[in-house]
Amino acid sequence: MLVDVRPTSRLRGAKATDVAATLAPIMAALRDTDSVDLSRLRVVCDWIQYKDNFREQIDVRTILSNGPAGGAPADGDLEIAVDLRRSAEGPLAETTRALLRGYADNGLHRCYLEPWVHTTESCVWDFNALYWRALDLWEKATGRLYEQALPGGESDARNTDAVRELLGQMFGVWDDLAARNSLPEELYVVELGVGNGGQAKVWLDEFRAMDRARGTAYYGRLNYLMCDYSPHVLEQARITVADHEARISALALDARSPTTALGFLRGKIFLVYVSNVYDNLPNEEVARIGGRNYRVESRAYVTADDATLIAEDLGCAVETIRPTVGQLLRLGPALLAETRPDQFPSSEVAVTLWRELWAALRLEERYVPLPGLDMYRIAERVSGEILQPLVESDGDIRMHVNNGAVASFVDTLPLLHPFGRLLCHDLFVTDVQQFQNAFRGPGKYDGSVVNWCNGPLLRHIGGRAGFDVGFARFAHRTGTNIVTMTAQVRD
Amino acid sequence: MVAQPRAPIPGLPMLPTSIVGSYSVPGWLERIKTDFHRHRISANHLTEIEEVAIKAAVKDQERAGIDVVSDGELRRDNDIDYLLARIPEVSIRGQGKDFYYDYYDAELVRPLGSDGQQSLGFAADFDFTRQQTDRPIKFSFTGPFSLSRRLRNGDRPDETELVRSLARLLNVQARELFDAGARFLQIDEPFLAGYPDAVPLAIEAVNIVTDGVPASWGLHICWGNRYARPTWEGHYDFLFPSVLQARVDQLVLEFARKGYDDLQLLHRLGWDRAVGVGVIDVKSTEVETAETVAGRVRRAVEVLPAESIVVNPDCGLRHTPPEVALGKLTAMVAGAALVRAELQPSVVHG
Repeated sequence: MLVDVRPTSRLRGAKATDVAATLAPIMAALRDTDSVDLSRLRVVCDWIQYKDNFREQIDVRTILSNGPAGGAPADGDLEIAVDLRRSAEGPLAETTRALLRGYADNGLHRCYLEPWVHTTESCVWDFNALYWRALDLWEKATGRLYEQALPGGESDARNTDAVRELLGQMFGVWDDLAARNSLPEELYVVELGVGNGGQAKVWLDEFRAMDRARGTAYYGRLNYLMCDYSPHVLEQARITVADHEARISALALDARSPTTALGFLRGKIFLVYVSNVYDNLPNEEVARIGGRNYRVESRAYVTADDATLIAEDLGCAVETIRPTVGQLLRLGPALLAETRPDQFPSSEVAVTLWRELWAALRLEERYVPLPGLDMYRIAERVSGEILQPLVESDGDIRMHVNNGAVASFVDTLPLLHPFGRLLCHDLFVTDVQQFQNAFRGPGKYDGSVVNWCNGPLLRHIGGRAGFDVGFARFAHRTGTNIVTMTAQVRD
Repeated sequence: MVAQPRAPIPGLPMLPTSIVGSYSVPGWLERIKTDFHRHRISANHLTEIEEVAIKAAVKDQERAGIDVVSDGELRRDNDIDYLLARIPEVSIRGQGKDFYYDYYDAELVRPLGSDGQQSLGFAADFDFTRQQTDRPIKFSFTGPFSLSRRLRNGDRPDETELVRSLARLLNVQARELFDAGARFLQIDEPFLAGYPDAVPLAIEAVNIVTDGVPASWGLHICWGNRYARPTWEGHYDFLFPSVLQARVDQLVLEFARKGYDDLQLLHRLGWDRAVGVGVIDVKSTEVETAETVAGRVRRAVEVLPAESIVVNPDCGLRHTPPEVALGKLTAMVAGAALVRAELQPSVVHG
């Protein structure tokens, strides 16, 4: 048996976690459970930092020996996953026994919302997309704007000092190019994920003011392209920056494939600005366990107790929850209310179901062996081969692949002018080892999913494409986890 | 009287096809090369693997129907390190690389020639390729000016002399190559477009390299192909008039990606020798059709004498996936054949 305690920073100090107290009842339960081969067992302890998340206090995962078709779930090693933060909740020994009994009997008493899937294809991402699609209804129901759910209550993208610093650097590059008669007439800047337009307004206000002060007349040559998944969000942002109307264009696009709309600007964009987008794009994880590489697969569920409560609220059988979820995710709460007025007399009632489901949503996981990293596709045009130096560097590891962020990153780099840069404010892991000593998501931010981004992976991908990718802690606010990633052409 | 147009390369058909130098590096080979730099495989194993890859690359070119083939430069990490790492007076800082394609940090620690004018082993590499094919072989190497851009020169600030001394070293290699049977040699200057003021120096150095070596010499100048991206943009007029002094037989240039307007420029500015016309965009993974290639060749034939044209890709195919590279070369050969067939019966010289 192997016991892996990851949150090492929680093991010392005044608020040190008593790992022994957590492990003792689990070991007692294992002592009493003959169905578990202790020689093929791992116990993994995390500290799930997000108050709202997709994990149980304790859960069990199969490490499959072969692919999914290779036999019954029990045909593999076993991992018991423990959330140390919640280890004092309830009788852990009994919970563990019940869990292992249920696992052995193939009866975990869960209402599954989907079969086993690649995590990027899980319905949690449909919930995430629904949140942005029907944000107005969610905000109305909760009574607070989504930005208030962010740490600090607002986006760091609006930080005036940070914007001035960035503009100063960019003006310097432009001045140099202008001196060599190499500055294009049209100056393009792109923002991916515009939110309510607040960052764009701060950026443009500062741009105009600094440009006037310098007398460089760059403002009249500026094309600021606001890009977002949601036309509704774009429209709101346009209103916010109405003062700069002549300089603004708005494009609806998927952040994972910016060149579909911006391909005509290949090699022409001086700044691509991305704030708090990558952490919200579809992600899955890979793991290296005992020298072998695995993909983490998931299936979403709600517990039997939660399912019963939701079914009572709906006035229907538990079995109808899954199709109802499918309808909710496809149609959204407003159309669901129109389609099934008997059960949902108003969109507010549908939003209530949505919020209940989201709160109850959990992810069961298993490890499926990868036949070869090159057979794993991170994103279009990005082979899993590129993960090799990261996963094979040092012992067992489980880490995020951030498939959506990688897709976006890879598709953004070709847009950059040779003197352009990609600037991204987000939650980044900057060293692979950080995956080994702290939980990095997924968590729930309001109605959306949050995952830390795998900075070393992006750095590696950027490096192979000829870009220097650097990370620095966000310098203009203390106590923030936000990191600034910058990508610029090398050589 | 009906005369067959002369080909730019004796013994080859009109509009002969060639590649610029590098051929597709498969992902597995990239991994193996990187593994070597991480000390996971030995130099012996790497050499064996590279030689197998070279055999496959030559075979691919033969299958595509290329007239003048190369070893695909598959022994080379990139356009620079293959040469600099072999020079005794050059020190490589930190032998490891994160990724094989990265450049070494190279520094000249003694004046070039301090250890005598040594063989860098190019002739042996050429000889290996010659054993794999009966077709004519092009052997290309990076020119002295571009090499100097990636070589820190210690406390000797005379960059001009560095370029010249690199040229003298390359001349020694060229003589060895010729003695080994190499008849098609090419100097690549991938960085020159970024330093238009340095063209006279670069051409002076080219002439040092080619001095006394009676091979058919090509000079390849493009807009950069690092990571399949252009490094610079512009027009080829920056080469003139200095390039007219270059003792080379052929300019090998990039057109397919940028368009063919600069052909007129070559004509207008007096280039009267052969031109290797780029008809394959190596920065795109889209495989051109034979008809597309033929259209590009026709553009060249409209401006330049057909007998002065060699048909080749814009630059090396290093970054192109294997199946795409083969497809592109096959289309290139077919496209050239289409235009050749159109020209053969109609070219009449009084």
